Amino acid sequence: MDAAALTLLQLNQRIAGLLNVAATQNVWVVAELSDVGVRGGHCYMELLQKDPERGTTVARARAAIWASNWSRISAGFKAATGQEFATGIKVMVCASAAYHPVYGLSLVISNVNPEYTIGDLVRRRREILVRLQSEGILELNRRLAMPEPALRVAVISSAGAAGYGDFLNQLYHNSQRLRFTTCLFPAVMQGERTAVSVMDALDTIETEADRWDCVVIIRGGGATSDLIAFDDYALAAHVARFPLPVVVGIGHERDVTVLDYVANLRVKTPTAAAEWLISQGGRALERLRRIGGELLQSLTDRIAGHRTQLACCEGLLPTASGACVERSASQLRNRVEALAAICSQRILPQTVRLDHLADSLGNRAMSAIERSRIKLDGKEALVAALSPEATLRRGYSVTRVGGMAVRDAASVPSGTRIETQLASGTMISVTE
Amino acid sequence: MNTEKPVFVPVKELSYTQAVNELEAILRLMQSDECDIDNLTAYTRRATELLRECRGRLTATDEELRAILADIEK
Repeated sequence: MDAAALTLLQLNQRIAGLLNVAATQNVWVVAELSDVGVRGGHCYMELLQKDPERGTTVARARAAIWASNWSRISAGFKAATGQEFATGIKVMVCASAAYHPVYGLSLVISNVNPEYTIGDLVRRRREILVRLQSEGILELNRRLAMPEPALRVAVISSAGAAGYGDFLNQLYHNSQRLRFTTCLFPAVMQGERTAVSVMDALDTIETEADRWDCVVIIRGGGATSDLIAFDDYALAAHVARFPLPVVVGIGHERDVTVLDYVANLRVKTPTAAAEWLISQGGRALERLRRIGGELLQSLTDRIAGHRTQLACCEGLLPTASGACVERSASQLRNRVEALAAICSQRILPQTVRLDHLADSLGNRAMSAIERSRIKLDGKEALVAALSPEATLRRGYSVTRVGGMAVRDAASVPSGTRIETQLASGTMISVTE
Repeated sequence: MNTEKPVFVPVKELSYTQAVNELEAILRLMQSDECDIDNLTAYTRRATELLRECRGRLTATDEELRAILADIEK
């Protein structure tokens, strides 16, 4: 019975021997990294496979990269992907299963294919961007107008970070003495808690949004840079929807995260963020200087203009009164002449008419008198013809008795003394 | 001709943007023929006041600067 039983060590060695076959050695396997840590030069980690729908872990294995490989692999990986070999990213590793009598099963990684990780990161980024785009929020923050100047700056960073110090130094030592106001809203800037921590800080800032012109998210510089934490949908959506313009300075040139796409402004480094803010303030100052200069210029111009005008008036004044009198006099003369012209124009026809009337009046008077005279002459002749003298001259005579003309011979008794008047002389006789 | 005295909002009540915009407006006014010589002094005084306020909001005095820097370098 004793001989039949194996020691645990023997069993474990047997298991180890069974595992040591081609099917488990130097196999390329894809997995997600978790709990990555370096101890004694060796890198230990957990490899996970998650259900893409539910996120639950469907497979798990311990793994290690021995110190002899670690420095080569980590440097190559970072150079190719721009990422630390760190928790949260997907990797393709060349692994061999090994069974240690004490520590049990683990995978020993001898190589890593960074292309897979690059592809995965790119795909992840693209998925997040497409989702933000389809939700219509991708460009919300980018479209916000950055206040000019943005002097009140809410900073999200980690307090001890070198980048934060650089940022403040740059900002407050600006040569133009721009008056910046900053406040640090501390957040974890690397590792798994980054996204949640930055979102918390954003929420705090949002409660006092009217105190700030913009938000600057900067990371603590240094060599360590796992940007993957910033390729997070929730964080990107948060920044995109944020009511204040967000400036992101978390990486260097080549490390473009989703956050860089949604932020109002993306700069390479914290120092660059500070420089940008300073240049903005400088532009505002420059505008003030320009306005001041132009104001002074237009004021000077204006006063000079008025002065010239006054001087001109002054010069005109002495001659102006004389000219004015002369002008009035000439005006008066003109009017007199005009008046005379009008008078003659109006009166002349009347005079002519009067003259005409006078002439015709004379004529008519003369002819009237002539007519009367002729008429009178006619009457005179008639009178003369009818007069008793004319009758007498024709041989007639008038017989009177006692001075009375006799018309009937019978009325005169005989012996009456009669008086006969002839054309020339009178005869006295007695009737028989 | 506009002979009314212009009425101004106290500069402290203006936002920076409002103040700069007003400055630009005064500048335009001074460059146009609308500006009444009677009000030139008032406008100039106002513009100076706005400029001083804007510049004051943008830049810190020596004293403030020292205080701020002392704070950072603690």
